[in-house]
Amino acid sequence: MKKRLLLLSFFVASVFAASAQDTTKADPPLMISGSVDTYYKYDFSKHSNLPTSFASDNNSVSIGMIDLALKKKVGKAAFVGELSFGPRGQAQSIPNGDDGNSFHIQNLYVSYDVTDKFNLTGGYMATFMGYEVISPVGNFNYSTSYLFTNGPFQNPGFKATYAFTSKVSLMAGIFNDSWNYYTSVNQVNTFGAQLMVAPVTGWTAYLNVLTGKLSGTEFDLTTSYQITDAFKLGLNAATFKAADAVGTGGFTGVALYPQLAVSKDVTLGLRGEYFKTKTGDYPTFGPTPGSSVFATTVTANIKAGPLTVIPEFRFDNNKSVNDGFISKSGAPTKNASQFVLAAVYAF
Amino acid sequence: MAYLYNMKKVFFSLVCLLCVQVASAQKDSLAFDEGNNYIYYRVIDKPGLTADTLYKRGWDFATAFNPSARPAKGQAENTLNTSGKFLVYTGVSLMKKEGGQINYTINIQTKDQRYRYRISNFVFIPYQRDRFGNMVPIPGIEVPLEKMTAKYGKKETDNYLDQIGSFCISTGVKLKSAIDKQPAAKKAESIKKISTENW
Repeated sequence: MKKRLLLLSFFVASVFAASAQDTTKADPPLMISGSVDTYYKYDFSKHSNLPTSFASDNNSVSIGMIDLALKKKVGKAAFVGELSFGPRGQAQSIPNGDDGNSFHIQNLYVSYDVTDKFNLTGGYMATFMGYEVISPVGNFNYSTSYLFTNGPFQNPGFKATYAFTSKVSLMAGIFNDSWNYYTSVNQVNTFGAQLMVAPVTGWTAYLNVLTGKLSGTEFDLTTSYQITDAFKLGLNAATFKAADAVGTGGFTGVALYPQLAVSKDVTLGLRGEYFKTKTGDYPTFGPTPGSSVFATTVTANIKAGPLTVIPEFRFDNNKSVNDGFISKSGAPTKNASQFVLAAVYAF
Repeated sequence: MAYLYNMKKVFFSLVCLLCVQVASAQKDSLAFDEGNNYIYYRVIDKPGLTADTLYKRGWDFATAFNPSARPAKGQAENTLNTSGKFLVYTGVSLMKKEGGQINYTINIQTKDQRYRYRISNFVFIPYQRDRFGNMVPIPGIEVPLEKMTAKYGKKETDNYLDQIGSFCISTGVKLKSAIDKQPAAKKAESIKKISTENW
């Protein structure tokens, strides 16, 4: 009993002593953040129909990923290492190494603040293009858009960012010749740039471009505006043309994201997306080349502290009956619909 | 008997330690003003100095304290205002990370042999993790400190209030040293000396 009490008092004293030491540090501590997510999906055709990313398993309680991000900054130098495990965090979002094993790495880069306004960053980074992201914490909807699925996920390279003011910044960088690979195919010759403007409080807009001889050329506009405390409107528009070396074709699309907070813990949102594939032989995740799809997703985010429960209903309508959806009976159909119930815990 | 005596000592030590921890809560340094808004307010006597001298030293403090924002003259005589922001953290130990930033204003007013200052207009801007793993402000979300409990709960709000209290206390110390024209006292870290000759 006595030993236990002594041990307890030693532990308590250690905790307080440790916190006292923390307060003397000038640099922020090593920061750990991340998430876990799991979901149930029911496709009304009784098999998975939608070609967009994640929430792939029909009539199954399935896992997304566990995501762990580490960040440390000492003075002006920082690193970020983000690891992910699970279907969403491995084969569905990152490439494997040459030996077929997953490296589990979403982000691995170092950065240096040359001045308060000028930053240099290099390594393997999530793409700067697009509205939606791989982490379920960063998205309102659990299923993803066609624009997200067909755009880049990661762009390894080197970039420089200059903040003219808190309302205008410009990033320019040179990236590997192909998206979503840990190494370049041959060269580091894809150019990327991002102009950020924040015209008024709550409104941010990103004009993005990514172009290379192998990666093709994509222009992207990503913007969101918190119009009132309760209402937010987001928009993503992009157009992509495949590189000549890869093929012909590409895609164009636009997605609108209105969201309304109906209470402190509940927000309702809609995603309306129009996605069109260009004629050619470049493969896309969507309707056949030269066709289009209109997708409507109704989502609720119900928060309980760090936990978000996401019920979601989605209805996709292809232009043609031969654009890829299969009905319950096995016949081609224009429509596909699904229900998803997901839970995301962020830490 | 000796066993019971030792147990009492251990319990007493634990209670003392907990009391010290509770006493270290910094949020108590904040108060509400007439409009029911959080404020850190102090009136300091400074015998022998005129209002103008105090004002000039206060201005120099404000300029050096936040170089990115030039102080502004207030409407009342011998009054100046400046504003700034600082980070607040959520979580403890390994799970500690940037929870958001606090925007604030400092108002300093002087008269002969006395000055007062208030730190107020606290607004919380929550942070979220971006695609690159950095914690960044959520655009367009600004929560006045007075409304934080309703939005984030008491536990989270108390955590931030403690950090705001600490910031205000340390800012007050810096202002005092600037007005006194004396650098803030630094703790002299004594380095233990040992003899390596006799062993």
